Amino acid sequence: MALLETHDLSKAFGALTAVNAVSLRVEAGTLHSIIGPNGAGKTTLFNLLTGTFPPSAGRIVFDGSDITGTPAHRIAHLGLARSFQRTNVFPAFSLLDNVWLAAFACSKSWRGLLWRRADRYPEATAQARAALADVGLGEKADQPAREISHGEQRQLELAIALAAAPRVLLLDEPAAGLSPEETRRMVALVRALKGRYTIVLIEHKMDIIMNVSDRISVMHFGSLIAEGTPEEIQRNAEVRRAYLGGVAA
Amino acid sequence: MRALVLILAAVVLLPFIVRPAIASEIWIFAIFGLGLNLLLGYTGLLSFGQSTFFGSAAYVAGYLLKHYAIGVFAALGIGVAVGAISALLVGYLCVQRSGLYFIMLTFALNQLFYFIAYQWTTVTGGEDGMPGVPRPAMLGIDFRDPVAYYIFVSVLFLLSLWLMKRIVDSPLGKILQGIRENEVRAEAVGYHVPRFKLLAFVIGGAFSGLAGVLYAMLFGIVPLEAIGFVTSGNVVFATLIGGSGSLYGPIIGSFVFIWLSESMSVVWARWPLLLGVAFIVVVLFFRGGVVEAWDRIWRFSKRTT
Amino acid sequence: MNLLLGQILNGIATGMLYALMGLGLSLITGVLNIPNFAHGALFAIGAYFLVSVVGLLGNFWLGLLVAPIGVALLGLLIEYAGVRRLYAAGHDYQLLFTFGLALILNELIIVIWGPVGISHLPPAILRGGVDLGFTFYPKYRLFVMAMAGLLVVATWLFLEKTRYGAIMRAGIENKEMVSLLGIDIHWLFTVAFALGAYLAGIAGALTAPIRGLSPGMGVDMLGIAFVVVALGGLGNLLGAIAAGLLIGVAQAVVAAYWTEASTAVIFAVMAAVLLVRPQGLFGIR
Repeated sequence: MALLETHDLSKAFGALTAVNAVSLRVEAGTLHSIIGPNGAGKTTLFNLLTGTFPPSAGRIVFDGSDITGTPAHRIAHLGLARSFQRTNVFPAFSLLDNVWLAAFACSKSWRGLLWRRADRYPEATAQARAALADVGLGEKADQPAREISHGEQRQLELAIALAAAPRVLLLDEPAAGLSPEETRRMVALVRALKGRYTIVLIEHKMDIIMNVSDRISVMHFGSLIAEGTPEEIQRNAEVRRAYLGGVAA
Repeated sequence: MRALVLILAAVVLLPFIVRPAIASEIWIFAIFGLGLNLLLGYTGLLSFGQSTFFGSAAYVAGYLLKHYAIGVFAALGIGVAVGAISALLVGYLCVQRSGLYFIMLTFALNQLFYFIAYQWTTVTGGEDGMPGVPRPAMLGIDFRDPVAYYIFVSVLFLLSLWLMKRIVDSPLGKILQGIRENEVRAEAVGYHVPRFKLLAFVIGGAFSGLAGVLYAMLFGIVPLEAIGFVTSGNVVFATLIGGSGSLYGPIIGSFVFIWLSESMSVVWARWPLLLGVAFIVVVLFFRGGVVEAWDRIWRFSKRTT
Repeated sequence: MNLLLGQILNGIATGMLYALMGLGLSLITGVLNIPNFAHGALFAIGAYFLVSVVGLLGNFWLGLLVAPIGVALLGLLIEYAGVRRLYAAGHDYQLLFTFGLALILNELIIVIWGPVGISHLPPAILRGGVDLGFTFYPKYRLFVMAMAGLLVVATWLFLEKTRYGAIMRAGIENKEMVSLLGIDIHWLFTVAFALGAYLAGIAGALTAPIRGLSPGMGVDMLGIAFVVVALGGLGNLLGAIAAGLLIGVAQAVVAAYWTEASTAVIFAVMAAVLLVRPQGLFGIR
């Protein structure tokens, strides 16, 4: 069953069509990767899925209901959480508070919003600690986010997305700017999350993609040009021309 | 805990050091600053129109006190409500824009309220202000006695401080700080940012309203300046010199500001000029507020001796 | 009816002055990315400079030439000695600085020129009126209209047709790009501030014979300049003109029927427009 679908989704900025009639089906429980050269429209596609801006045309269907045009702050409550390509955390907050804010946002009730102490929400706090532990930052919960390394900030980025207990996880280049060692750790992390969540992954690094994906969609100049299993994509001549070039040849 | 002890000590000792009226003014201005700081320090919203809520509450409650002889508690309630409602109206227009536009809008809407007060002379007295605001007695306590009124103001200040502490320690406080830290992420994890900014506005407006009523009753008059831009600027200044980074910053700032303006106003009739100089000196040399300034002066004196 | 037409003409004249204020503020706020709360004070200083220069030299035209240049130099000094040190500070401290400056300038006006309002006559050649058929209209106001129009066009030509203007527009939109082009951004900032101050100064000088001078004139104008920018958008020339004319005419028309509300109406019009179009007249940011 497809958990997340788009139908002819398009987004134009003036004369530039960043996303062009993209129809995507993400099956529940799978890890679905989206690859493509820089400027292919991958991040714009994410921004459409998460309501950062509305599409120019087309529909987005999540779990059978049309969510086209739903504003960003509602998306998280529906069960779609995202991480950002450029680290996008709350710098002055402790790691725990970073994650807690996401956990609280999607908690069942906001009772006591104005008068109960924020540390008296055991459920949200437990959820936040679990998310931090999941990405291997459990030990550093009380450190401010601006003081941890870039690699750890990428992990935190992931933890914030996990904290809301989402049904679909949209990961935008989780390994961006990481060293080979940090990349290996991140790949292990994503692999560990596989199966527990439905994951849509944008990534540049081919070794990661081929390793972890169930299915791969290839974007080029805003359009989908191929879709298939990693083996199929590797064999696809058009993909090779457009993107893989010499790498896969 | 230590802060609480210090504040309690200050509340008790202050009327022995300065006139009760000035002591009252310090706590009233501190309530005003607490309201602003929820916006400025916690949410990262620089509102330059806080006197809109302060002044509106002072006028409405003052008018009712004067002409309809309402009780003290009714006046306080009305002031808080007027502060909150005016903040809702102004905030609704302002939170849709950000950055410099936001600042300019808060000021422009402040001017709207100012000119209404300026021209509606039959109610507000225009430039002459609205004199004759009484301090009605309550439960047999005569608030015309400055000390009795000081105690009343102090209790309300402590109550406000406690309330504000609850708010900033609550999830709302965290969310507002999250918006200050990273608006885009706050939206992405599921908070409707403009709605929360508006909520901060309304709460800040309610505190400003409370301060406005207390101010009107303290001096027995609502001067036109109460709703003017200088008042808006003063509370920003006070909060910044106290340090907008902490809950207690505006309280320290209120002390410094009231002391500064009281002592300068006896020196020279053109004291706003000195105040302007003080603003600039603080901005150029003591950014980070009195706490940092104290630290620097201390280090400097250690080096010279 | 004739009264109304006359008032609309008045509104256009003041509206053009408002547009000038908004344009100058737009340059400073847009290029330097600071809230300039001293913009109204610069306007007032322009008017008082004019009166002093005319008093000293006895020539209005010299005054109109020299006074705004004096304000531009003041702007240069303000940027160079103060604002420049605050680009890394937050808007809160920048605001406090320009607000403090406004207080100082305002009080200096009272100290130097006195707290009482001053009236100032236009030059002899522009006194009296002309018959426009439907109304007898003061010459000086027609002159102001033409002069303000000329300045707006000159600013437009500068921004659109010269290299410096192009750099300045780029500075409003993308500061990184400007420094990548190898242009000294500090120089750009100083010039933008001085130019904005010049426009405020000449608006003040032109206003003096219409409304007279008073220490409070700066603050009133500051709010109006903010309205123009909030409605017209930063760095938007057409927006500034449209917003300036809109509030100028609205104010003049209301003044004919309900004088007391004529200033409040400027801000009420702004609130009404923002209620319908939160992003301003032309929907920028």
